[in-house]
Amino acid sequence: MDTLVKPPMPVPDALTEFFWEGVRAHKLMILRCRNCGHFIHYPRPVCERCLSEDLAPEEVSGRATLYSYTITMKPWHPFWVDKVPYVLATVELPEQEGLKMLTNLVECPHDAVEVGMPLEVTFREVGEGLTLPFFKPAGAV
Amino acid sequence: MAETPRVAAVGVGYSTTGRKTGLTSRKLAIQACGAAMADAGVDGTDVDGIAVLWNPAGPAPPGLDEVKALDLAQMMGYVPVNWHVDGVGPAYIGPALQAIAAIRAGFCHTCVTVRVINQRLSGTELKAGADATPSTGDEQFRRPFGQLLPLQAIAAMPMQRHMAVYGTTEEQFAQHAVTQRYHASLNDDAIFRDPLSVDDFLAMPYLSTPLRILDCDLPVDSGSAVIYTTEERARDLAQKPVFVESAAFSGTGYMAFEIEDMVKNAPFHTGRHLWERTDLTPADVDCAQLYDGFSIITFQWLEGLGFCGPGESGPFVEAGNTRLGGSLPLNTDGGACNVGRRHGTNFCIESVRQIRGQCGPRQVPDANVAVWANAVGPFGGAVLMVGE
Repeated sequence: MDTLVKPPMPVPDALTEFFWEGVRAHKLMILRCRNCGHFIHYPRPVCERCLSEDLAPEEVSGRATLYSYTITMKPWHPFWVDKVPYVLATVELPEQEGLKMLTNLVECPHDAVEVGMPLEVTFREVGEGLTLPFFKPAGAV
Repeated sequence: MAETPRVAAVGVGYSTTGRKTGLTSRKLAIQACGAAMADAGVDGTDVDGIAVLWNPAGPAPPGLDEVKALDLAQMMGYVPVNWHVDGVGPAYIGPALQAIAAIRAGFCHTCVTVRVINQRLSGTELKAGADATPSTGDEQFRRPFGQLLPLQAIAAMPMQRHMAVYGTTEEQFAQHAVTQRYHASLNDDAIFRDPLSVDDFLAMPYLSTPLRILDCDLPVDSGSAVIYTTEERARDLAQKPVFVESAAFSGTGYMAFEIEDMVKNAPFHTGRHLWERTDLTPADVDCAQLYDGFSIITFQWLEGLGFCGPGESGPFVEAGNTRLGGSLPLNTDGGACNVGRRHGTNFCIESVRQIRGQCGPRQVPDANVAVWANAVGPFGGAVLMVGE
């Protein structure tokens, strides 16, 4: 692996820093409204349901179901040259209907990937200084 | 207060179109405006409004000239104008609906709409730009995971979801491409015109499953223009007027297609409002021109506009309904997959030409009602057009 090629590094801001701090500590944190309990992802400075601005990150279960996926065959960034094919996935978190996030599905043979399959979070160091929350089939060792 | 005018499309035109034409963005815009003015039989003094969307549909290479509404209006002899608007997206539906709304409101009487995409520095340069795109804002939750190109989130994952929920097949997407290519074979202006079979399509490699390159539109340099005016003025111009019967423009979220419902989004919202604003129904439509930036988008519009039920677009296409001679001839110019990316404008222009009866070997007999649609996911719009 060419260690000189860095992944696209997230650029956190005041609204999103909690997410990356959580990931470094191997916790999946999602912004939640302290007034009505609604989860908000991607992070926004207001609750879309009750318009409260009193929001705080909360650790979620780390469970998910596979909403959809695509197995990307081409490296459209130098970092993925030795990583294709990879499974880009949208997962839905059980904490709230329609609460989704983008991730990669790992530890699953590509011919066994199935929309609706139960997943759980797993944290991976993908490059120097970057940990990402990936998902794997629930119960996988 | 004057009665709300009925709006007509009276002039349509394209620039030179192709891969790396070497033309500047301004030149593409000037050519398209000139072609539309000649088609309508108007000169610059007849035009008092302009709505422009310019961008390179990708990271802008340094030095690429921009098209600005007032700059273009000045060059084409439109100034002074009573309405001018720049950069309204998400694609051609933006300037089109700005023009229609402005004429209905009485802000202007004759509005030129323009969509220019200049990809002359596509390929390596654009890729280098994409590599340098910072992962700020929502991109910090996308790019580090390898969500790098629109085709992944806008097309491949919605296709996979559609297949999982409804049983849609890759053969059905292939059949759609084959039908569009057949229509392109009847269009002298199409870029891809060679015959295509389902087997040819399925033999192509995946870019990102289940999507292949022929599920994608064809990037080109292109300028496209359409002129709208009032019914009263339309009567005096060169072409048979084509009227805006109904229009709708929906926004259901922001640019994060993976967060939206992937199979029921803006087209469904648009469809409800489009049909509420007319006495016509989907059964009255003679041909449909539905955006095909990616093949799944056309499928979503077929369902969203009510030409088939939710999830039924695959069998609808496979049964031949969308082929010339079928119950709903679709993308009769060949679609942007074959004529090149005009970001929706070609679907408006093809609707106008079909209703005028100017489509030669691909003419839908007696076409008098056409619908065109553009964009998908968190935003989209559609326009129903009729002849006399």
